[in-house]
Order: sequence, then C-alpha cells, then structure tokens
Amino acid sequence: MNAQTLNLPTTAAAPLTNWQWWGRAMVVPYLLIFVIFVLYPVGYGLWLARHPQSYVELMKDPIFFRSAVNTFVFLVVAINIKMVVALGLSGFFVNTRWWVKWIAAIFILPWAVPSIPTILSVRFMLNPEWGIINSAIFRWTGLDGPNWLNDPTLALSLSMLMHVWKSLPFWTLILVAARLAIPAEQYEAASVDGATTWQKFTFITWPSMRSLYLTSTILSMIWTLGDFNSVYLLTGGGPADMTHVLATLGIRYLRLDQVDLAMASIVVALPFILPLVFFMMKRLSK
Amino acid sequence: MSFKKVAAEAKLLLIGIPVLIWTLFPIYHMVLFAISPRDTATSGHLWPEHPTLQNFEIVFKRDHFYLDHFWQQLGNSFLIAISVGALTLFVATTAAFAISRLKVRGGRTVMNLALFTYFIPAAFLAVPMYKTMGLYGLLNNQWSLILAMVTIASPYCIWVLKQASDKLPYELDEAARMDGATPLQLFWMVYLPLMVPSLVAVGTYALLLAWNEYLYAFLLLSKDQDVTLSVALGNFLSADDSPWELLMATGLIYALPPAAIYYSFKRYMVSGLTAGAVKS
Amino acid sequence: MASVSFHNIQKNFGAVKVIHGISFDIQDGEFVVLVGPSGCGKSTLLRMLAGLEDISGGEISIDGRVINELESKDRDIAMVFQSYALYPHMTVRENMAFSLRLRKADAHTTEERVGNAARILNLDKLLDRFPRELSGGQRQRVAMGRAIVRDPKVFLFDEPLSNLDAKLRVAMRAEIKALHQRLKTTTVYVTHDQIEAMTMADRIVVMHDGIVEQIGTPLALFDKPSNLFVAQFIGSPSMNVFKGSVQSNTVNALGAQWAMPTNVTSATQGQQVYFGIRPSDINLASSGIAAKVVVVEPTGAETELLLQIGEQSLTLVMHGRTDVKPDDTVYLQFDANKAHVFDASSEQRL
Repeated sequence: MNAQTLNLPTTAAAPLTNWQWWGRAMVVPYLLIFVIFVLYPVGYGLWLARHPQSYVELMKDPIFFRSAVNTFVFLVVAINIKMVVALGLSGFFVNTRWWVKWIAAIFILPWAVPSIPTILSVRFMLNPEWGIINSAIFRWTGLDGPNWLNDPTLALSLSMLMHVWKSLPFWTLILVAARLAIPAEQYEAASVDGATTWQKFTFITWPSMRSLYLTSTILSMIWTLGDFNSVYLLTGGGPADMTHVLATLGIRYLRLDQVDLAMASIVVALPFILPLVFFMMKRLSK
Repeated sequence: MSFKKVAAEAKLLLIGIPVLIWTLFPIYHMVLFAISPRDTATSGHLWPEHPTLQNFEIVFKRDHFYLDHFWQQLGNSFLIAISVGALTLFVATTAAFAISRLKVRGGRTVMNLALFTYFIPAAFLAVPMYKTMGLYGLLNNQWSLILAMVTIASPYCIWVLKQASDKLPYELDEAARMDGATPLQLFWMVYLPLMVPSLVAVGTYALLLAWNEYLYAFLLLSKDQDVTLSVALGNFLSADDSPWELLMATGLIYALPPAAIYYSFKRYMVSGLTAGAVKS
Repeated sequence: MASVSFHNIQKNFGAVKVIHGISFDIQDGEFVVLVGPSGCGKSTLLRMLAGLEDISGGEISIDGRVINELESKDRDIAMVFQSYALYPHMTVRENMAFSLRLRKADAHTTEERVGNAARILNLDKLLDRFPRELSGGQRQRVAMGRAIVRDPKVFLFDEPLSNLDAKLRVAMRAEIKALHQRLKTTTVYVTHDQIEAMTMADRIVVMHDGIVEQIGTPLALFDKPSNLFVAQFIGSPSMNVFKGSVQSNTVNALGAQWAMPTNVTSATQGQQVYFGIRPSDINLASSGIAAKVVVVEPTGAETELLLQIGEQSLTLVMHGRTDVKPDDTVYLQFDANKAHVFDASSEQRL
C-alpha cells in the first residue's frame, strides 16, 4: 500500500492551496480551546503561585506535609495492589466460559457508573451507628465495629479501597486485551514442552505484558494523583484534615480563600507529575 | 464431569464469586437504601423488610427540601452532557481529520499538546480553571462547565480518532481527490461515514465524562437551579440528618443513564477506547 | 484522449533527489508502460502526472497545456490505484458515480455513464454490492469503471495487478488491453513486472534510479537493448551476461571464444566488455562451447537448463524435451547476430 504523503509546497512565499488552508482551519477549534482554557489558566495559575512566601507558608503547614505523605502512600499502595490484582484477574477474564463472561459484564459496572452515588453508598455503609458493616459486625460478634472514617489510617485505607474499586475494571480490561494479543500457539508449544501454569506465566505471558504493565502503572499513577472524588466524597479530607491528598488539598485552600497556597501546592506537585507525563508522552506519541 | 474438570471449575468459582460480591456490594447497598422506607433504611438489614418504591415517588415529586430542583438539575445534567458530547465531537473530529488526513503542518505538535493536556490530572487544573472562568466572567454560567469539560475530554478523543484515522488507507483520500472532491467533501462524504464506530465511542466517552463530573461542576456552578445532579447529590452531605434513602434513590436514578449507555455501546466503547489507550 | 509530455522532470524528497531530469512524450491514444525495479521513480513520476506529488522541476503538459499548477481534479485524468481504493461504505454504483455526484451531474447522465461503464466491464449484476463482497478481480474492475465514468483524457494505472494471483493477473492483463483497444484513451501504466510491460505496451519506458534507461516498443527493447540494465531487465529468464575481452571478431570469455555480431564496429582489440546472449538464443549442438549441465527443468512445452562453465551459470531455454541429464557435458551454439556486446565500463551497447 502506497504510504507516500501529500507533498504540499513548503515555501512560505507560495499561496496556500485549498487543502492546506482547510487543514489549518480545522485545527483552529481545538487550538482555540487549548489557548483559552488550558494555556491561559495554566499561565494564570503559575502567576498566582509566584510569591515565594506561599511556599514558605506551605512548608510550615503540617496539613501539607501530611497530604504529601498520604499521597505518596496512596500512590504506592493503591496502585500496586490494583495493578497486581488486575494482572491476576486478567488471567481469569480471558476465560471464555459463559458465566465468566457474565461476571465480566457486571465487573465493568464500577467503571461505568458515576462515582458520586457509589462513593456515598460506601460512606453510608461505614457509618458507625447504623451502617450495614457495623450492624453486621454487631450481629455476628456482639462487638461494636470501629468508627471507620474517624480513624485517619482506616479512612485513608478505605479511600484507597474505593479508588481501587472504581478503577480496577479499566486496567483489568487493558490487561485482558494484552493477554488476548499473545498467540495461542505459544502456550500450546509450551504445553507440549511440559511447562507448568506458573512457567507459562513467567516465560510467555509476563514478557509480553511487561511493557504494557509498566505503561499502565505510570498512567495509573497520573490518574490516581488526580482522584479527587475517592477522598473528598468518602472522608471530606477528614478527620481533621488528616486524609487530604494533593488533589483535594488545592480545593481545601481554595475554600479557605487561600488561593496562592492552593496554587503553590499544585506547583509543588509538578516536579513529580511532569516526569511521569513526559514518560507517557514518549510512549504514546507517534 | 471428571474430577479435574470439577476442580478447574471450582478454582474459577473461587475467584469469580468474590469478584462478583466485591463489584456489586456498593451498588447493591445503594439499591438497598433506595428501596427502603425512611425508618428502616438505617436499620442495618441486608434486605429491607418492606421494599418500597416510595422513595422514588418522593424524588419525582420533589417532595423534600433537597430535591426542590430535581428535575431541573436532572435536565441540566442531560443538557450539559449532550452539549459536551456534541461539541467535543466537533472539535476532536476536525482536529483529527486535519492532523491525520490533511497532514497539516504542525499537526504533530498539536497532537503532542493534546496528549500533554490529557496526562495532566484534571484535578490539578481545577483551581486555575476556576479562577480563569472568574476572569472570563463565566462563573455560574453553564457554558463554563461545558467548555471546561470539552477542554478535558478533547485531547483523548483527538488521540483516539487520530489512531483510528491512520488506519484508513491514504489511497482513499487520493482517489477522492482525483474524483474531484474538495477538502470538505472528502470530510463529509468519505471520512465521516467511515469513522462512525470511533465517533460513537468518542462522543459517548465525552458525554459520560461530563455526566459523571463532580469537581468541576461543584466549583464552577453554584445556583441550585443551575447545578448538575452530581452536585445536588453532594449537597445532601452538608447536614447530618439528611434523608439518606432519598439520596440513594436519586443516586440510583443518576447512575442509570451511564450504565444503560455503557451497556448498549459496550462494543464500541471497549474496542474504541482500550485500543486508543494502549499502544500495542 | 490526449498527448502527454514530460519535460526535464525532477523530483526531490527533502534533500534526496529521486528523479534526475526525465523527458519524453506520449502520443495521443498510446499505451505507455513505465517499468523498472522498486525505487526507480516510476510511481513517483505517475503521481506527479496525477497531481498527487509536487513537481520539483520541469514541466508536464497534457495536450500542450502545462499542468504543473493544476489540481488533480482539473487535469482531466483518472487513476486506478494498486489497492483499488474503493470507498468501502458505498456500493459499486455509488463508487463509480462518485465523481459525477461531486460535480452535481444530473441523474440521467450519471445513470448513462455508470451503466455504460458497467456494461463494458461486466459489472451490471454487481452494481448494488459493496466492495467487501467482491473478489479481487471484481474490485479491480470497479476501480477501472470508476475511471472510465470520468471519461478522462488520460488513464493512469499504478501497479493495478500486483495484488492479484498469477492466473487472475493474466486474465486482467488481457482485459485492460482490450479496454484500451476499445476506448483508445491515452494510458500511462506503471508496473515492476516486465512481462506485463512486454505484453501490454505500445511503448515501454524503462526506468532505473530516477532516469530513463531506454524507451521503445517491446520488441525493440528485447532485440536491441541499449545498455546492460535494459538487457538484463527485459526478458524472462533474463539474459546471460558475463565479462570478457575483445579478440578480433570474438569475445574471449570463460575460456572460450564467443562470436560477436557482425554489425559491431566500435569494439577495439582487448576492450573489456560484457557479452550477453538470451537463454532462448542458445542451442544444444554436437559441437561448440562446452558446458556442464546442473539442473534440467522441463515445463511441458519447453525445457529450461541451468548450465555451468567454470564459475559462471548460464540459462538455456529450448522448445520440447531433451534426454540431457545433470552432470552431462553439452555443446552450445548460437547465432552471432543474436548476441549482445556492452562496454564494460559504460555498460552501453556496442
């Protein structure tokens, strides 16, 4: 198939052909959006974050420090658990049994359904007095269940769990697609050679999926950094602002009318986000 | 069935059943609340003694303070979601066509700009966007939310469409040019019809993104009549004795359209989006 | 129908020059084949004529009118692509009518032209099918139908038969040639297959590395290749060529004396040359130049023999069968006037 490009004149002096003109005209809508709603806000935000004083105040704020730690824990723990489980489940879901397919269809619900009602649903499940969890615990053991969302560690863990619940289906699907791309003959040849299930995984499945797994993990890190809902709707950042993550911290400062601190907290996060972003761009841009 | 087969099935069930429970539990709980009458909702039972649709009735009749503007807010959600879907389709399709088929100069740069925007978490753009919309005088105007969501949704859509466009043989464009097509005719009569599956996937993605959005809606809109249903749900949290069962009923209503859309377009969504998200 | 003229055509892709000044003319109604190995520039030349590539230097004219600055659609040409490039979402009828639809032609004209083209190409029954429901040969015909409907001055074909299997290729070759005889439209046809060139062309343009090696009728190219490249490119199996030196009226090569054609006047004693003789011009005889038989390949009506003299392999094609077996020694004879001699350094014909 002939893959030669339309070789349009490149001299600046020559008048634009109709095709070139339309080419430029058709990127204008997106460029407008980009300039007005990305470039300018980013510039404005950076300008708002220009006072060194903001950063000093930020560093002095214990809540900021706590948020940074929370974010780090959130990233490391939640993402790895999520990706490992996704990897395992991807092996389960490649199965073609009818009932596995049914479960797969249901499995996608957390991703398809909006997070507000589901997170709120979990929030009520965890209510210490009448929530279904504590009621069940009391019914079976006679003990009072913990005040889930009032303990910072538990609360953060539950936020992480919520995040995993929501995003697991997406990553599992991606990994399933990757598994399906591995030719069946490789497994058949391995069977003939006498490989065990684990060996098939280490020698065939994993090498094929390794690169995608890495890319997915990095991308997931970026998205998890931005997961506002899982923390805000479940814990509100509490108790006592102890479960804030970077995503919710900015909003907290905003509500306290400390816009410069809000922007500063975002800027401080940039050195961690930008390398990840560039990594992803390298992987995906063609 | 041989023992080996039974053991294999059992192993699968051992995974399948917990997965099912894990997936469904929060949703089940939501349904549970939605069909429980006020007094028994908080009783902690696994299944209501007297399941009722009464909560839905209350919601539809807007029979509670928090639900004053239910229909209006539901309408807002619809309107905004559809506008975002349509506008994003327009912006993304034209850009993808220009980059992929017309091979516009600087197309690669535009693609990279878009990718860059896609990878920055939206939550970090929220505060600057809020302040900027203030500067533009668009706060409390539904257009601010629409345009913000278009901004967030477009990059991914452009990328997916460009990937799909690249799969179309370039000779089709050449043949059309030889046949006498102008750029617009090529776009309208050859390109768009061939891109329909991707357009559906991308439009649906943008639509759902807008429908499901909380943070931006919450920041950019404040008047009760103007907010979307997601914000309205969040407002229930402001008091301690809110009618949780009504909240869950409303939440269920709110959750239905995306689930329905997702399941009807599952074909397009899964292939269209996962193929776009992953470079194989 | 119209004449086409290439005048000093050059093409650069960035800093790389791929076409180095090509000039030739095509007469009205001629079927000209551009042939050459991959990368020789034949497709690029065709695409410049089509308006799909920019012309870096020189001029192309159709009917005396320079078309360099004209857009494809204004050049009154139609093109058949290698992969057919049929619009997948349109029926055969809609594919063929597309160009008319773009010009807002009325229904009657469209009906007439499409119907006419369909009849010529035997596509009447397939008009409402979609391309995905058609075989390769049928798709090829729809692509041609699309071109015919345009009623252009020039037809362009870009390796249209490459995607077809051998048998279909033979059938389509004849169909395209018959079409040309019927419509008498000027045709420029690009292929890398020299058999297609030989069977279909009125004249062949042999291209190599961005220049024209030789232009002529098929038989002229076969009988009198003007340089080594053309000699080895045209003809299948290709000409036997080996190095030697001139000794009076023979060429001394492979330890034997090979008689030169009588009309070679410019050869000097001791000159290093390439000696060429086609496989079909060598005969087995009871005496002559000795060679060892390596492989015998009977193909039914003919027999192909792979021979060896010293380190050099030679091919011989003969009619009928033979009793010769591998490892036999045979003796070769040939008509000296059928031989070809080329200067070793310039590779030009002597």
